[in-house]
Formats: sequence, structure tokens, C-alpha cells
Amino acid sequence: MTTSTVRAAALQLWLPVLVVAALFVATANSGSYYFPPLTEVLAALVDAFVGGGLLDDLLFSMRNVLVGLAIAIVVGVGLGVVIGESDRLRVACQPFLDLMRSTPMVAFVPVFILTFGIGSAPKVLLIAIGATWPILWNTIAGVHGISPAVRESVRSYRIPAGLRLRKVLLPGASPQIFAGIRISLAVSLVLMIVSEIYGSPNGLGNFVLVAGNSFRVTDTWAGTILIGVIGYLMTLVLIAVEHRVLGWARQRPPRERRAAGARVPAGKVAA
Amino acid sequence: MATTTAPAGVTSQARRAPRGTWSRLRRRGSQAAFFAAVLVVWIGVRRLDLLPELALPDPVAVAGEFADLVTTAAYWTAIGETLRSAVFGLGAAILVGVPVGLVLGTYPLADRSTRVVVEVGRSFPVIAVLPVLLLVLGANLQTKGTVVFLACVFPLIIQAQYGARSLSAAIEETVRSYRIPRLLRFRKVVLPAAAPSVMTGLRLTSTMAVLVSIGVEILTPVPGIGGEIVQGQLDGNSPVAYAYILTASVIGYSINQLSQVSEARLLAWRPPADLDD
Repeated sequence: MTTSTVRAAALQLWLPVLVVAALFVATANSGSYYFPPLTEVLAALVDAFVGGGLLDDLLFSMRNVLVGLAIAIVVGVGLGVVIGESDRLRVACQPFLDLMRSTPMVAFVPVFILTFGIGSAPKVLLIAIGATWPILWNTIAGVHGISPAVRESVRSYRIPAGLRLRKVLLPGASPQIFAGIRISLAVSLVLMIVSEIYGSPNGLGNFVLVAGNSFRVTDTWAGTILIGVIGYLMTLVLIAVEHRVLGWARQRPPRERRAAGARVPAGKVAA
Repeated sequence: MATTTAPAGVTSQARRAPRGTWSRLRRRGSQAAFFAAVLVVWIGVRRLDLLPELALPDPVAVAGEFADLVTTAAYWTAIGETLRSAVFGLGAAILVGVPVGLVLGTYPLADRSTRVVVEVGRSFPVIAVLPVLLLVLGANLQTKGTVVFLACVFPLIIQAQYGARSLSAAIEETVRSYRIPRLLRFRKVVLPAAAPSVMTGLRLTSTMAVLVSIGVEILTPVPGIGGEIVQGQLDGNSPVAYAYILTASVIGYSINQLSQVSEARLLAWRPPADLDD
């Protein structure tokens, strides 16, 4: 058992390790101004953490993302359950939600920041609004996709609303809710960076921008790498939570989605 | 084709998609009513002055501004600038991402070895490379195209990989027992099998390309829709900014509809891949 997990890990990790090693070697004696040696970049990263206030920037950014995402989850799941439960409402707001799907949230960055200032609150608001949509769409699809057989049983046993929400709707929709949260996390990170580059006294985006504007190339690379690491780590944490929460879903045979009836896949509304 | 006797309000009985003209009319009506309700709320917020006008202008003013803008050359130039870089970046991403993804997905060893690298690439908020690119390339079309490319290439790899991987074991065995040559197998087995998933990737990334272009235009002096939004907002003329945001939504919406139609056409022989994940 253990040898096979070790082998699986080795199989997944040899290439990333090789890539990083190759970057070290390729940039080791780099005379290029724009591509400094990776060792220097990492040293700059450590320096920025120790004396450059990068930790404050990191905390500022992370807090904005987490608060915004939390608001988005509450609002998105709440509205999604309501809309997903009502066929009428779902059909009525479909085109509106489709239009929002194609509205670029980054376009609201100048609108919000030039109106409400460069502080933390407008950024949290932006992240919350932008991250709500993917969770909302997916919750609607998840709740709507619960098999009619389950619905009928719930109705015939007259399961009270609270119990139905906690034991049927939320668990039933949770795989899709998590898929939505994953998309929202990506959206939040982009909004975080864009809003901080656009106008902010601190934050990771601001760190990278200031470093770039003052031609501190190693610092710029260091910040960029840090942002990449943060993005990947947050995704990993989310996946771990998802496995924890959705462990039951993988042990059961998958729900019959298509056979269950009329659910038109989201991509096929054109007809 | 049985007509529904139960009123549509009864939830789980009316679950199948409405078919007749009457129900379609009703559906359209409810959708129009929803848009109207959104507009009423919007106007209400404006009239009660719940938000500053710079954040949320009057919808009538936005519509008027939109009508004015459509006749100007600057408007179409901005759209052209945004679309040009989106098309360049996306095109390059397709040329690289789809073949790479298909090859990776076909061979389990390659598939598993590259998983972490691809995942890191996908979870990276690509717009963060902008300061580095501004240093290396400067604020120009190349930078914009490169950011679009980086944003689109990983989702495309993943979708193509996923599609090639989804080949069923039975087909795999058949191909092997008949010793189908590699190229033929690629063309006639892997490609068709992966097509729905790749099309989904194309649909997702084509809207993403426009979005990323606009993001870069907001943050740099490179011209385009994003630049016009910033300019409108800086002039204190939020209806202009909103007219351009609306333009961006309409562009995204049209791309989405267009790719859905073409997807349905091209893949009429099989159901579209699921959007989720």
C-alpha cells in the first residue's frame, strides 16, 4: 500500500521538481536584467518578508479574499437554494443570470475604487459580488438536479422545510456548490490582484506593482511567485475540505442525473 | 406530448421543459418581467440615492449614452482593440493547448506526471504576471496578448486532457487489438472522443479571453474597452463607463450563444459535455 502511494507521489512530483531545478540551473548565471537568478529571487522574497513588510501585504490580501469569499458563499448558496427550488423563478431569471455570466467583473474595479476609495471595504465588496455568481449558478444547478424520486419521497413523508434544507438540498447540491466555490476562488484572486494593482496602499498586487514601477526586478518576480504559490495553496486547501465534506459522495454510486428526467445540461439551452 | 393539466406553480410536477407555444410565451413573459424588475430596483436605488451616482448611474442615462456611443468611431475602435488581442492570445492558446492536452491525456504516464504543473498553472491568477510583463515587454499589444494566452492555455490543456482521458476502456482495447496506427487512432478515435470537452474549453476560454483583455486595459494604458471604462469613470461620467461595461457583457453573451450554436451543430452526433468542473 505505502509503496504504491510513494510511487504515485513520485510520478506526480518528478516533473515539477525537474522544472524548478531546471529554472535554477537556467537562471543561475543569468546576466539578463529581466530574468535574475532564481536564488536571488528567493532571497529577495525572504528579505521582503523579514524587513519589507510583505507579511502585512499578504495578510491584507488574504483577509480581503477570505471575507469576500465567505460573504459570497452565504449569499450565493442562500439565493441559489431559493431559486433552484422554484421552477418559475429559475426560468424567469435564467437570461439575467446568463448576462451576468458574461459581464466582466474586473470592469467594475475602476467603478468601485474611484467611487469608494482605495481602502479594504470596496475590495471586499468587489470580491464578494464577483464571487457570488459562480456559486449562485452552481447551487441553482445542483438543487435543481436533485433527482425527482428524492423530491417525491421528501414530499410524501412531509419532511419539514428546515430538515429538508439541511439533509436533502444542501448535501444533494454540495458537489456542485464546491465546484462553484472553486471557480469563485479563482475569480476572487483575480479581483484581489486587479483591485490592488489599480489602487491600493498595500496588498500583494500593490507590492508587485510598486516593485515593477521602481524597476526592482527581483522583487517583482518574488511577489509574482508568491502570488502563484498562494493561489495554488488556497486551491489545495479547498480541495482538501471538499474531500472531507464530500467523502460520502464518492462512496456511493453517482446519482442518475440525465436519466432522471428533464434536466437540460447548462450548455444546451440554445434550442 | 400530453398537455399539462396541473398549474405550473405545482413544483415537481412541471419539471419537464415546456414545449408548446403557450408555455414558451409564458416563459418569455416571466423572463421579461424579471428584467423589468431588475430595472425597477435599479431606478429605485438611483431615485432614493442609496448609492453615489458615480457607482451606479441612472439606467436611462446609460441607455442614452450607449445610443450616442454606437455611432462614434472611437467606440468601435475600442471594441476592435479589445477583440484583436483576445483573438491573438486565444488563437495561440488553442494552437498550443489543445494538441498538448490531447497528447497528455492519451498517455496515462504523461497525464499523471504533468498533473501538478498544469494545476499550478491553472490556479495561478494570471493577471499577476502583468507587472513582470510590463517590465519585460512594455505596455503594448504583445503584453495584452501574452496575458490572454497564459490565461487561456491551461484551461484548454485541461479540457483537452480530460476529453482524451475519457476514452472508454472498451474502445481502447479495440483500438489496440486491431493495431490501429497511431496517427489514425489520433484522428479517428481520440479527436472525436475529446471534441465535446475541447468545445467546452473553447467556449469557456473565448469569453475569458475578452475578459482578460479588458482587465489588462484597465490596468495599463493599452487602448481598448477597459481603457474607456477607466476614462469614463475618471471624467466622473459613469454612464459612459456603464455603457462600455454593458458592451462587454453583450460581447461575452454573443460569443457564448454563438459557440453554443456552433457546438450544437458540430457535435450534433453527441450530447455536449457537462459544464461543471
